[in-house]
Formats: sequence, C-alpha cells, structure tokens
Amino acid sequence: MGDDILSYNGGVALAMKGKECIAIACDKRYGVQNRTIATNFTKIFQYSDHCFVAFCGLATDVQTVSERLKFRTNLYELREQRKLKPNVLYNMLTNLLYERRFGPYFVFALVVGLDPKTGETFVYDSDNIGAISDNVNLVTVGTASEYIFGLGELFFKPNMNADELFEATSQALLNGVDRDSASGWGAVVYVIEKDKITVRELKGRQD
Amino acid sequence: MARRYDTRATIFSPEGRLYQVEYALEAISHAGASLGILAENGVVLAGEKRNIHDDLCCSVSGITSDANVLINELRMIGQRYLLTYQEPAPIEYIVSRLCNIKQAYTQFGGKRPFGVSFLYMGWDKHYGYQLYQSDPSGNYGGWKATCVGHNSQTAISILKQEYKIGETQLNDALRLAIRVFSKTLDTTKLTPEKIEIAVLQHDDKTNETTIRMLKDDELITLIKQYEDEQSKLEADRQKQQQTTTSSSTVEKEKK
Repeated sequence: MGDDILSYNGGVALAMKGKECIAIACDKRYGVQNRTIATNFTKIFQYSDHCFVAFCGLATDVQTVSERLKFRTNLYELREQRKLKPNVLYNMLTNLLYERRFGPYFVFALVVGLDPKTGETFVYDSDNIGAISDNVNLVTVGTASEYIFGLGELFFKPNMNADELFEATSQALLNGVDRDSASGWGAVVYVIEKDKITVRELKGRQD
Repeated sequence: MARRYDTRATIFSPEGRLYQVEYALEAISHAGASLGILAENGVVLAGEKRNIHDDLCCSVSGITSDANVLINELRMIGQRYLLTYQEPAPIEYIVSRLCNIKQAYTQFGGKRPFGVSFLYMGWDKHYGYQLYQSDPSGNYGGWKATCVGHNSQTAISILKQEYKIGETQLNDALRLAIRVFSKTLDTTKLTPEKIEIAVLQHDDKTNETTIRMLKDDELITLIKQYEDEQSKLEADRQKQQQTTTSSSTVEKEKK
C-alpha cells in the first residue's frame, strides 16, 4: 500500500478475447488502503450496445472518468445519430486521458467491444495518460494485474467459445485476486456475444 | 417605422419595440410550420425534429444554420446537468437556460438575434409531459397546443376551437394534428411525404421514454380517417341543403 495512489483503493479488471465473443470481468472491492469499505463497487461501464470499459485505480477517478466519458459519448450519439464503435470509444477515452497529461487521472482502462454484424472482437488497454495498445487477446489492469496476467496467459486458448471463455476469465480473476489483499470480495463477469450479453456474479473468497 | 434605430440590434425604438427581434419573428413566419399538442398520455410534435436527450426532443422553425448552433447548445446544457447531478435534466431547466442565451443577443454584444423558434416536447419526473415554445426574444412558455411558422395563426385558431383540455388522448391529438395540417398546408391533398410527426411517451413501469416518428402507413391511416370524416361531413351538409331547398319550394307553391 504505502503512498502509491494507484493502489490506494485497490481493484482489478481483466478482459479476454474469444471466437466472436469477449469477456470482461472485475472485482467488487472498494477499500481505503487496508480497510474494506464496500463490496459492491464494480468497475465496468457500458457505453454502447456492445462496448464496455473497465477502469481501475483511484476510485474517485474511476467514477469521474466514467461519467465524463459518458458525457462525450452521449453527445457523439446525438450528433452522429448512430451508436459508438469500440475503436472510436477507445480513441475518445485515450484522448480524454491525454488532455490531462500533466495532471493526470489515476485510472488505467480496458476497452472491449464486438461488432454485432461481423463478429469482429476488440480488446484494448490504456495507461492513465492514454497510451494506446494493439487489439490483443488478453488485458489486465489493477493492483493484481500481474498475477492475473500469468493465470490468464495460462488459461487462454485462441478461438474459445462463450462458455470456455467465461471459465478461463473467471478462474484467472478469482485465483489472481486471492494473492492480492487490495482486490477481491466477489467478481462480476460480462460475456458479450453477437446476439446477447450475459452478466454473472461470482462469489470467491470473501476476504 | 423608425428605420434609423434598426441598425443596432440591442437598442429600443422610440415606441419601446425591439425591431431586430420582430424582424427575426418575421423570418420565422415564412418558415415551415411546426405544431405541438399535449395529450394526457403523451405529446405530439410535427415538423423538423431534433433530439436533445432521451426525454426531450424539439422541432425547429426558422433559419436552419442558427438552429444547428442552438441545438448543439441545448444538448450540451442537458449533458452538463447530467454530469453534475447524475440524473436527467428537467425540461424547463434546459429551455430556460437556452432562452437566457437567446435573450443575451437582444441586449448585449451587438449581434443579431437567432432567427429560430423551437417547440420542445418532453417528459420529466417533476411535471410529467410538457410542451414549450421559445422564440428569438428569449421568451418561452408552456403550452397545451401551439404552432409556429407559416400559417401558424390559422393553426392556432383551429387548435383553440378543437383542443379539449383534460380530455385529449394521444390518438385525439394525432387526429387534431392531421386536421390542422390539412387546413394550413398550401397543398390540396395531404400525403405522408409532406409531414413528419413524432410522438413522445413515457412508460412508468420501465421508466423509459420513447420518442418515435410515425411511419408512412400510420400517417396514411390517419389521413384517410380525416378524409373519410370530411367526406361524411360534406355528404351530411349536402343532404341538409336539399331538405331546406325542397321545403322552401313547397312554401312558394302554397302561396
């Protein structure tokens, strides 16, 4: 813990790519250093029919950045008369973060999405000043990100279907957070497919 | 008319009038008509529609480029409220804020007023269904039924006679809208291509507002209903005339 702003509140999120489906998951802990305050603080937000973003880091910035991003996406949809695509949402977010390059928000982000017509999958991550990544298979952010990366790489297989993807994502998250005192207290997993989105709440070790 | 005073938008004339505002209203009276009718279970808006947010939509009459600037501002006002308070902006709040901006152009800056009038239809949890009108002067008012633009005076007099306060349901409002349009549009026959009607309804159970445009087949049905009513009225009137003429001829013979 100590003085590190990015681990002041704790929390973790992960996203994985499958065959025409995506899974994004986060823990539910809201804490202040070693005190747990709430266990219903989810870090995943929906911006369009098939676009989701997860923010991890300082809790106040998780809330503020998600709300300010919503401001911009609402105006986009009103002016353009169409829904956002994942890559556009990603660019909007990284632009928002870079605007504060010299007084930044303390959140790292994951942006995921699916094109419902083509089934093309998008999984990106960003640091807190808007560094862009490629469209990759696996991304994690948060205080337990390294632990979850290791497990994620282990469980990941290319072209998994929705059920396999759910299992891989859930196991990576649940076991990874057990190694981190600042994350855990339950998890939420979204599995996004072309025709439906399934949300599941997981109960892990409640500590 | 004291034309010397027209060159500056932001000063009064000797008679206490703001000519530039009046000229703006004149510009709007040449524009395409917009009509709004409040019903017990929804709101009807006819004309060129623009969405402001999930629960508010407006129709534009006047200079379109001026309107685009104001529509953008309306959307920003809605979003700023949502960002600060994390709940949808009340309808009157948005209308009122925009009207303050419009009023500024009649008092400072030396710029001309916006040549647009808006009709706003919306729903919020404070006052339910609402209909507002705003004009270049920055004045706004809540209405049960109103019209702006070309032939609006004719439309308003029809609305005054036909609108029933407290008893108008959405289908009554739609029928009334068609009736008004057929009397005020410059064409002989009303077709779906000539009108654009939007309906706003709020579902209390799901707490969702839907704003939808009437499709061509729905418009055709409404127009046909109106035409059938009209031809029935015409047939009744003709029958009445026949009976009165025949009775007068009988009387003449008696004499």
